Amino acid sequence: MPDVDVLVVGAGPAGAVAALEAKRSAPQLDVLLLERDRAVGAPVRCAEGVGNAGLREFADPDGAPWVARKITRVIFVAPDDTEVKVAERDVGWILDRTRFDAYLAADAGAAGVELLVGTEASGMRHDADGRWEVAVRSGGSADTYRAKVVIAADGVEAMVGRWAGLDSRVPARDMESCVQYVVQGIDFDPDAIYLQFGDQIAPGGYAWVFPKAPGIANVGLGMVALKSDGRNARQYLDDWIARRYPRGARTGYTVGGVIAHTTIKKTYTNGVLVAGDAAHMINPLSGGGIVNAMKAGRLAGRTAAAAIREGDTSARRLAAYHQAWMDLLGEDHLKYYRIKQALEELDDDFFNGLARTVNKIPREKRSLGRIFAHALVKHPQLIPVAARYFV
Amino acid sequence: MRHVRPAEIAIVDLNVCDRCGLCLPLCPPAAIHLALTELEVDRDTCTGCRKCIAPCPVGALSMVPNA
Ligand SMILES: Cc1cc2nc3c(=O)[nH]c(=O)nc-3n(C[C@H](O)[C@H](O)[C@H](O)COP(=O)(O)OP(=O)(O)OC[C@H]3O[C@@H](n4cnc5c(N)ncnc54)[C@H](O)[C@@H]3O)c2cc1C
Ligand code: SF4
Ligand code: SF4
Repeated sequence: MPDVDVLVVGAGPAGAVAALEAKRSAPQLDVLLLERDRAVGAPVRCAEGVGNAGLREFADPDGAPWVARKITRVIFVAPDDTEVKVAERDVGWILDRTRFDAYLAADAGAAGVELLVGTEASGMRHDADGRWEVAVRSGGSADTYRAKVVIAADGVEAMVGRWAGLDSRVPARDMESCVQYVVQGIDFDPDAIYLQFGDQIAPGGYAWVFPKAPGIANVGLGMVALKSDGRNARQYLDDWIARRYPRGARTGYTVGGVIAHTTIKKTYTNGVLVAGDAAHMINPLSGGGIVNAMKAGRLAGRTAAAAIREGDTSARRLAAYHQAWMDLLGEDHLKYYRIKQALEELDDDFFNGLARTVNKIPREKRSLGRIFAHALVKHPQLIPVAARYFV
Repeated sequence: MRHVRPAEIAIVDLNVCDRCGLCLPLCPPAAIHLALTELEVDRDTCTGCRKCIAPCPVGALSMVPNA
């Protein structure tokens, strides 16, 4: 049975960064990174948008081959199609995740991480010494690896944590069902991302247009099935595109789940750390999880390496990871989740009214903070939302 | 393993399923498995709770009599 120090399951942003950081912190360790898909980064199940500052902690986007587009504006679209343009500099980037995820994994490989694609973890159990034995399958062959620390970075499926006895199940009300097309030959501002809300459009979520190039965009939506009128996510999106972009050519199609929840209660146990979507570390308001996954991967990789060096990979030692994540972002997500719940109580009329009010603020002064402050004055209904945010 | 035999259980239409993995964390008894090539619902573990059905973005899951 092959022995490794760190076994990382899943080569998305969380797993690739975790493997890289573990190897970098302790180059003598054997670090193995498994990816079920036949290629890292494909299929893309993502709208590929990231904030500028968060991305730059990990990679330099200027001129990078894994960037599709720079974004300098956000356009919120009310249910009745009223547009609110928000002026922000350096908003972010639209990635080409096929290339970006491969770039991260290649970085890990260059540092000495062993990467196996087309290879999946299919279960795990404790051996007599308390080490994890992970069953691994690849094409026709099967093997068992023994690892000191397993990092569960398996994304929305979140099964590795469950195998380790952690509770990473998702309540249906916190699962955003997502569908997205790549649509070509359509007219929109190629420097902006568009977000549209509305009960008929994407109940419990929003629809988006994220530009990949002039005339080409990721056009998708996420919605909560429990709030549906009977249509599934794909049917909602087909209806929305038929209305907004009837002449667009749909050249690509993807499906996925976004966990709009708060971090799982326990992201660690003896010899196991859970990072990224698998630990529900997505921003529950925006649904963005790429940068969060990398931040968690960095903490997990470093914690695993330090724990192995100290010869203590017990739950007690690994708990430092959970604390570090909660201090970094986990506590903020508890607040964002409360805002999400408050927003769910507001209806289309409210958002239509808010959009018209906010459009009276001069465009260059229309920052998100100002919109919020203005909304409080003009719409006292929002005060409970604000109050819940600040408690 | 369940104790009472449910009247209905979930099945997946593999022609529709995109293997996105969204339904796995919704399933309380972990009856849904995503393997290298396809998605599988374990007939003996499914309790028929329906939690996976509506959230599938493409409608690949449905309930059938537990024959
Ligand atoms: C439609 C959609 C749009 C989105 N848009 C955005 C966006 O614009 N911006 C943003 O920041 N976030 C977005 N997200 C969320 C973002 O995609 C995730 O938060 C991010 O990919 C999380 O990274 P991760 O490494 O945790 O998981 P993933 O990127 O999901 O990686 C997990 C990997 O583990 C592999 N795996 C799973 N199980 C096993 C196993 N047993 N053995 C081996 N390998 C396994 C999977 O194949 C996968 O490659 C979107 C999500 C969806 C579904
Ligand atoms: S949610 Fe639907 S498309 Fe996704 S894996 Fe499950 S059955 Fe397949
Ligand atoms: S019906 Fe319930 S138990 Fe059966 S597969 Fe769906 S979620 Fe799991």
